Amino acid sequence: MTQPKRLAAALALAGAAFAAPVHADVTIGLLGGLTGPIAGMAPAMVDSMKLAVGQVNEQGGIAGGKLNAVVGDSACNPQNATDAATKAVNVSGAIGIVGPACSGAVLAASNSVTVPAGVLTITSSGTSPQISKIDDKDLVFRTVPSDDYQGRALARTLKAQGVDKVAIAYVNNDYGKGLAESFKDEFEAHGGAIAGYAGQEDSKASYRSDLAELAKGGAKTLVLFHYGNSAGLTILRQAIENGFFENFVGADGMRDEAMIKTLGADNLSTFRVSAPMGESGAAFDAFSAGFRAAGGDPNATFAATSYDAAFLMALAIEHAGGDKSKLSASLRAVSSAPGEPILPGEWAKAKQLIAEGKDIDYKGAAGDHEFNEAGDVPGQYELFKVSGETYESVTEMK
Amino acid sequence: MSAIDFINFYVVPGLVLGSIYAVGAIGITMVFGILRFAHFAHGDMATLGAFIALAFVGTGLDPWTALPLAMLVTAVVAVGIDKTFYDYLVKRPKILTVMASLGIALMIRSVVQVVWGVDPQPYVRGIVRPDSFGGILLRPRELYTLATVVVLVVGLVAFLHYTRWGKAMRAMSDNPDLARLSGVDNRQVTMLTWAIVGALTAASGFMLGINTELNSMMGWHMLLPMFAAAILGGVGRVEGAVLGGLIVGLAEEMSVLIVPSQYKMATAFVILLLILLLRPSGLLKGKVL
Amino acid sequence: MELTGLLNYALFMGILIGIYALLSLALNIHWGFTGLFNAGVAGFFAVGAYVSAILTSTPAGGRIGGFELPVVLGWLGAMVVAGAIAWPIGRICLRLRSDYLAIATLGVAEIIRLVIKSEDWLTGGSRGITGIPRPFGDLDYMASQAAYLALVLAVLLAVYLAVERQLRAPWGRMMRAIRDNEAAAAAMGKDVSARRLEAFIFGSAIMGLAGALFVHFNRSITPEAIDPMIATFLIWIMLILGGSGNNRGAILGALVIWLIWSMSEMLTDRLPAEVATQASYIRVFVIGLMLQLVLRFRPEGILPEESARQRHSTP
Repeated sequence: MTQPKRLAAALALAGAAFAAPVHADVTIGLLGGLTGPIAGMAPAMVDSMKLAVGQVNEQGGIAGGKLNAVVGDSACNPQNATDAATKAVNVSGAIGIVGPACSGAVLAASNSVTVPAGVLTITSSGTSPQISKIDDKDLVFRTVPSDDYQGRALARTLKAQGVDKVAIAYVNNDYGKGLAESFKDEFEAHGGAIAGYAGQEDSKASYRSDLAELAKGGAKTLVLFHYGNSAGLTILRQAIENGFFENFVGADGMRDEAMIKTLGADNLSTFRVSAPMGESGAAFDAFSAGFRAAGGDPNATFAATSYDAAFLMALAIEHAGGDKSKLSASLRAVSSAPGEPILPGEWAKAKQLIAEGKDIDYKGAAGDHEFNEAGDVPGQYELFKVSGETYESVTEMK
Repeated sequence: MSAIDFINFYVVPGLVLGSIYAVGAIGITMVFGILRFAHFAHGDMATLGAFIALAFVGTGLDPWTALPLAMLVTAVVAVGIDKTFYDYLVKRPKILTVMASLGIALMIRSVVQVVWGVDPQPYVRGIVRPDSFGGILLRPRELYTLATVVVLVVGLVAFLHYTRWGKAMRAMSDNPDLARLSGVDNRQVTMLTWAIVGALTAASGFMLGINTELNSMMGWHMLLPMFAAAILGGVGRVEGAVLGGLIVGLAEEMSVLIVPSQYKMATAFVILLLILLLRPSGLLKGKVL
Repeated sequence: MELTGLLNYALFMGILIGIYALLSLALNIHWGFTGLFNAGVAGFFAVGAYVSAILTSTPAGGRIGGFELPVVLGWLGAMVVAGAIAWPIGRICLRLRSDYLAIATLGVAEIIRLVIKSEDWLTGGSRGITGIPRPFGDLDYMASQAAYLALVLAVLLAVYLAVERQLRAPWGRMMRAIRDNEAAAAAMGKDVSARRLEAFIFGSAIMGLAGALFVHFNRSITPEAIDPMIATFLIWIMLILGGSGNNRGAILGALVIWLIWSMSEMLTDRLPAEVATQASYIRVFVIGLMLQLVLRFRPEGILPEESARQRHSTP
């Protein structure tokens, strides 16, 4: 048969799909790690991006038309990420990209596609410090702070609470490693002692021996830089079950409601997690209400940062009147103080103010997003404890 | 570190993990021995078995009651896969079947991902603190795991040695042409082998899931350790697979004493390479394909 | 969606197809000509990628490298080192039977991946390496891609001609003789293991080159790029579909599979939201199914291996 015929049929089908009528709408690409190592986190991230898109369309649309969002799968590797970004930009006509999710994918997609094509990119979960160093013509931003900040803030907070000795377990990727290194650096600089420091690969069946090794140093507190919906869950469970360590601390990757459901809130009384937060809890509450109404878990890892990235993208597009070349400047304009504060979900209000030529300042669910020169955000953090089926803030982290 | 800590945190997890690997390795060694190829879909079939058990648990069954049901269903699935995808490759070089099994692995995995999603899920919620047996900490599920493995292994060995079908399988493993001449219907033996293999992989997937969590990649990550166990023990030898499984499991858990924990995964690979280089027939002198 | 967009997409696809075609050609040397089931392609790809990265990138604290050598030296280095590590791996593993060789090479690739992820001082660990120069990187988007594509195609052509020449030379005949009947070849006095090792090194060096080309396109490399699905199995499927034992088949397989892989995503994205995520998994299912269909209905691939007569009649 069949190979050339099958190929022709596939192409024809694809062509038919493209032949769908194109409105005078604006298209953005939502790139998530739908398959691959962080596939578990991807649905919440993409759903919160879509929440933002939905709110835009319900409250008046954007730049004279609707906001179209095309979802692409970066699969967390450069090959698929560059492919998805190329398709979004060139075939779907996206003028902005929200994502990709993994740092390696962000590096590749920016370097090969979005920066050369002049397309604005806002990632909500790429935490590697390497992203700040991309030669990006001011086109790459992130709503999630670099690992460096969160690790250090957590170290300072624990030290301030009187914790002098910890053991650290981190997932062996750029997220876990980055947090662990910055935490260690800062903790030791403030006089703390690291009694155990080890990396783990995801997806092993038992970490008991790892925990035993970590516990040898005599620390009572275990800091977990893992993801709550993979190895982090297993490690925490095995630690609690076997009586390793008394206190547990995690970063935003561990702040997952599924974990409370699986382990039980009463077993997690000494568990604390940090997460990036806006200045006023009101911003997070606004996002939370909207996301829960849509059936999502606002505490899911990177859900808040993803929402912010998408909403900011929309604000920037509205501000620039849909002009791709002005997006970068517009993004800075709508996210920086001074300006009338805009909270998550307040699209109609923002649209109005932009039309009147007034300055706005978006206060995000995961932070105020005052971008610095490199397009990074410094990150404000809060420490959370488990309360009922969800998390409750304990203190701000300085 | 005290002896009791060593037992509780290195030996016991190693044995539990090792028994899970052992049950999986038995399936691999049977496919190697009787059907003569490397079954790359083994890990993902274990995943499927585990999730089928989860489906039964969802209807309200206790996990350990769901296990035999899941084993039965997976046995049927395994036979079905063989009939559909491996049967027509029987006359061709075995390497094609190996490639086909790689493709099957991908297919099974994506079915699991579509039907059950990619979030990790447990059979039972909450945590279970271990009971102390004179200082040794064991949980009920671990005891049941070890017991199940013993039952399965003893049952299988008895089957292979004392029943007609078992003897037919061993005959086909030794020399398929001679077996056919002696009246063994190779096709029926093949089906029976797949049924047993399917049931065993389901058991190993289930036991992995009940001792940790279920996720769609769980089986794939067990694949290389299971191969290492089967080859270590001696291909085609069921007792070898059990021995190999226990050794690989223990070695993995104890490796953190010597190497940084990121390299825990490498333990199985290193064992595999060493045995392939030094003694490809394995510890209990199995076949060398 | 306009013409420039489609053209850019086509250029991008061409670049990735070219790189995958190189990998497929290399795997053809291993499998098609020599009968070696190398399930560790990702490992050699990774070595080549990282070597070129280390040699050509800007300095970074805590990691060796930053020599900022010219790109060409990076590529040469990638080939040399990938071929060099193939030597001990080959000496150790090649005497194993095909199934065992597959498992062993799979294990080797996994060990390489773990080492890359963990040894920060060498590879930057999970952060990876950035600041890698890209030839023609300063041009405009379309021009830059077109230039890089030309580069990739030039390399592909050179490698293709080199491999074809070897195939038609006495060396190629000997390799096929060894593959088809090892005992007879050995009886005729051929040094079977030495020839196999040569083929293994040759193919691995090309895999390293492909890794280098990939790295310079993206100006960065991180460990996720060497995931076995995308850097080994996809290539196997390309070779089987295209026709193992046939160099044009290898290239064709890369073209067809990558087209399907990339374009199928566009179809799945147009599905309603709830289904779109599931659809990504279905893509993998379809690829696995395609492999089964090829193995059943056309195991020799689209372009089968040429018979000896065909080979001699073409100059």
